[in-house]
Amino acid sequence: MKLTTLRETLLNPLTMVIGVVERRQTLPILANILIQADGKKLTVTATDLEVELKASIDMVVDEPGEVTLPARKLVDICRTLPAEAQLTLKINGEKALLTSGRSRFTLSTLPVKDFPVVDKFKSPTELNLKQSDLKQLIDSTQFAMAQQDVRYYLNGLMLEIQDKQLVSVATDGHRLSYCHLDTTIASDSVQQIIIPRKGVQELSKLLSTDDEMVNVKIGSNHIAIISPALSFISKLIDGKFPDYDRVLPKKTEIKLLANKDTLSAALTRTSILSNEKYRGIRFSLSTNKLSIQAHNPEKEEAEEEIEIQYTGDDIEIGFNVNYLLEALAAIEDENVQISMVDSSSSCLLQQPKNGNCKYVIMPMRL
Amino acid sequence: MIVHVDMDAFYASVEVRDNPTLKGKPVAVGGSPQGRGVICAANYEARKFGIHSAMPSAHAIRLCKNLVFLPVNMQKYIDVSSKIRDIFYRYTPEVEPLSLDEAFLDVDGSKKLFGSAIEIGHAIKNDIQNELNLTASVGIAQNKYVAKVASDINKPNGFLYIEPGKESQFLDPLPINRLWGIGKASEKRFHEFSLNSIKDIRQSNVQDLETEFGKQGRKVWYLANGIDTRSVESERKAKSISHETTFSQDISDIHALTAILINLTESVASRLRHKQIKCRTVILKLRLADFSRVTRSRTLLEATDITSEIWNTAKSLLQQFYQSENHSLRLIGVGAGGLKKTSEQNQKDLFAEETSSMTNIDKVTDKINAKYGDKIIHRARTTPKNN
Repeated sequence: MKLTTLRETLLNPLTMVIGVVERRQTLPILANILIQADGKKLTVTATDLEVELKASIDMVVDEPGEVTLPARKLVDICRTLPAEAQLTLKINGEKALLTSGRSRFTLSTLPVKDFPVVDKFKSPTELNLKQSDLKQLIDSTQFAMAQQDVRYYLNGLMLEIQDKQLVSVATDGHRLSYCHLDTTIASDSVQQIIIPRKGVQELSKLLSTDDEMVNVKIGSNHIAIISPALSFISKLIDGKFPDYDRVLPKKTEIKLLANKDTLSAALTRTSILSNEKYRGIRFSLSTNKLSIQAHNPEKEEAEEEIEIQYTGDDIEIGFNVNYLLEALAAIEDENVQISMVDSSSSCLLQQPKNGNCKYVIMPMRL
Repeated sequence: MIVHVDMDAFYASVEVRDNPTLKGKPVAVGGSPQGRGVICAANYEARKFGIHSAMPSAHAIRLCKNLVFLPVNMQKYIDVSSKIRDIFYRYTPEVEPLSLDEAFLDVDGSKKLFGSAIEIGHAIKNDIQNELNLTASVGIAQNKYVAKVASDINKPNGFLYIEPGKESQFLDPLPINRLWGIGKASEKRFHEFSLNSIKDIRQSNVQDLETEFGKQGRKVWYLANGIDTRSVESERKAKSISHETTFSQDISDIHALTAILINLTESVASRLRHKQIKCRTVILKLRLADFSRVTRSRTLLEATDITSEIWNTAKSLLQQFYQSENHSLRLIGVGAGGLKKTSEQNQKDLFAEETSSMTNIDKVTDKINAKYGDKIIHRARTTPKNN
């Protein structure tokens, strides 16, 4: 294999897939990246055995071929070369030679046949979506995913394919985010899959906000999301996601309306003096007034008061301020509606009108 | 001043005390020499033959044909140990037990009541001798490290007081393996630099030591200079709470074991609730008929202090162990680990099962037991059938 190109041309697909390469690998080959050049196209593939990422660009090469190279070293070299530098990559037996101007790098290679790639899988469910829609769906829910929870099925994002609807849910057991997207896909059954956390984060980075279509293939153990330029394949978490519908509050009698940015800013300031570990803050609601208080073990205190629309009884309720801030950040409207049942039941945040997303937060005992 | 009290050949001494015919004979306590047991303790007569703790029992027997070999009677040592601790507490509440047979005492607050550290040291030694008929070695110094070395140097039945300011004089001639943190491997490395005695280390430059040996170098330099700033920690945070019982006869019937286990679980859970802590991990402790120990543990989704939740976990651990084959047990125990204060658990869970009814049952049970006596109300299964 031999190719000559601009630094940027090669760096682009490399940076798209490098995130999946772990810093410590169980197999040496997983530190490598697979580069395939068929004459018209250059494809780079990275994997951690759970998530496989592929990025392709059009490129005419001098000699077609394939090779695996140390991923991070290759990316670091390309990154540190001067902008617009012309570089040449050439395979010579078991070594690869990368030259650019007066720079010369000899890299070791590993056999291409050892590079693990996901086999083609059967995908009874297939759908086509706008890239921007899928990204929006993921980004408005993924922040609530659990991290290294023993309930392994929470360490990921749940996608549910319903009739003419695609639902995305993430939860860490303390808060939950829900979002749905209307589709044209008819389905007579409901199918749920859970994409592992790392895959979700990589996918979110890969997806762009343009309207290009992507093809989603769902098999029994894998999900693939494919566009002309990239391919994302992830294993699925084999587990039963909790019944999210049960925890979406239904009969909420306490409802308040607040300006999102005002609330968010007040919360951010108050949070400075909340307990660093538990992040608790207290809401005190009275007619058209919300007072937010926090204190920490050093006995420092913060209090903010903002105007809201509220007409019910006075009530006090405690929350983890981070959960509130993250949910508010995901809401796109300028106002937020907060609905509650009482100070010990879950609370619902959403756009006042036409929102596709719902954020549920369990209160804290204060 | 810190007093370090260390019992002499503790397990073996207790056995000799309870069976005077063993006096003057080499005695060792440990796991069976027929099996793969090791020595837990050897008296000074046995040590003359080169027998020491952690040595395989079979090897010890080879070293000394007349060795009197006794099984470990842990409950007995625990009982004696608690009597020793009671003696400590007469003189100060500042007691930090290191194990069953040794402890640090900070006696600075006790001078007005009981006299100087030397007087207290003698009083404790005498109390142990008179009341328990056992000997202890006592070391007294300004800090924990020097006190411990001092108690060790004149064993058995030793008593050594290191006057403040004379630490170096005392430590200097000692070999470097007397320093905490220097074992066989690092000893060699220090020898390579001609550091053979504590004096050599004391006179070295601390920076040089740190460059050569890292953090350890700095630590041993401080110790060699008789500097140890750690205080006596009388109340260590409990890492786990457990209850266990040793049977008079080995039991293999899983139903009988289950009944005992539920009893222990009730005790553990009620202690958790009493201390207002919850546990994340449930540990099942077993000792088989051949003395081998087995522990199985499982981490729960959420910390709990609910009897039935701990019980379900402990039960399933036991059943899992019995699934493959039948075992004969001499001890069973249940423990709660991963402890945290109940009050720290403020964030409510979205998917929490309805546990409130269970919590209420436990609350009521605790109240009744507090009022009418321990275990007056308990799970029906633990009631003997003929009652």
